[in-house]
Amino acid sequence: MAEQVTKLAVFTIADFKEEEVWLRERAREGLHFVRMIIPCFYIFEKGAPEDVIYRLDFPNNDEDRDYARMLTDFGWENCGRCMGWVYWRRSAAETENEGESELFTDDAGRLDMVKNIVRTRMLPLLLIFFACVLPNLFRAIDGEMYGASGFFLWFFGIMTVLYLYLFLHCGGKLRRMQRELERKE
Amino acid sequence: MDAKIERVYVPMTETGFYILYCLQTPQHGYGISRQVSWLTNGEVAIGAGTMYGTLSKMEKDGLIVFDREEEKRRLYRITALGEEVLDREMRRIERLYRNSRGENWNG
Repeated sequence: MAEQVTKLAVFTIADFKEEEVWLRERAREGLHFVRMIIPCFYIFEKGAPEDVIYRLDFPNNDEDRDYARMLTDFGWENCGRCMGWVYWRRSAAETENEGESELFTDDAGRLDMVKNIVRTRMLPLLLIFFACVLPNLFRAIDGEMYGASGFFLWFFGIMTVLYLYLFLHCGGKLRRMQRELERKE
Repeated sequence: MDAKIERVYVPMTETGFYILYCLQTPQHGYGISRQVSWLTNGEVAIGAGTMYGTLSKMEKDGLIVFDREEEKRRLYRITALGEEVLDREMRRIERLYRNSRGENWNG
């Protein structure tokens, strides 16, 4: 069996384009993506360096039927799923045009994907934040629930900062993508 | 044709037009892509995700309908509503073409 390598990288739900580029760069070094382990571990198999195009799709839940079949027909190789994302790849040498090197050749399709990410990933994140993280932070600040222990204050404090960062980063980036695509359409 | 269909599909994108056009004969996504590539000498290339998404939407909107399945591939064909949209687009494109050639085609 080929040697496996684990690499650590953090990509948020708004960084899928960067993730595609990163995976392609690894393939050029001879590291071929095998699978991802939540939240940020990437398993690669060592092999010959190759130029491989990676594409991440975030299909609707009602995607089923012949989705995988169609993408395979078009020359894409499925290389895993993770949290709603589907990873596809193909050798760059066999692509001649945009229809082969991109999953989406229309802005409506790209826009649907961004909207789907916002709906199924951003909104639940907001819900968790307002229903769990924030109330617990206030409780910890009051100190009623946890007595003198500073642990919960730290924990929920860090969670709050992390969530705020995620909202600003992902929300802003997805919003910009959406606006740009809507303008073009 | 209701207002929603008209707003979304008139006028159509080049991709949308070719997909609907090709479905006058029942076909699956990859078959459509091959035919479009041939018809346009490779200049209109449709990505797999775009093909999948467009077919799903057109099916939901009633422009095309599931015909049959062959080797796990779904084949679709155009409906009466789809033909209506296609006819309208053809007339629009013909007018555009003729007028752009200076024919002052009052159609």
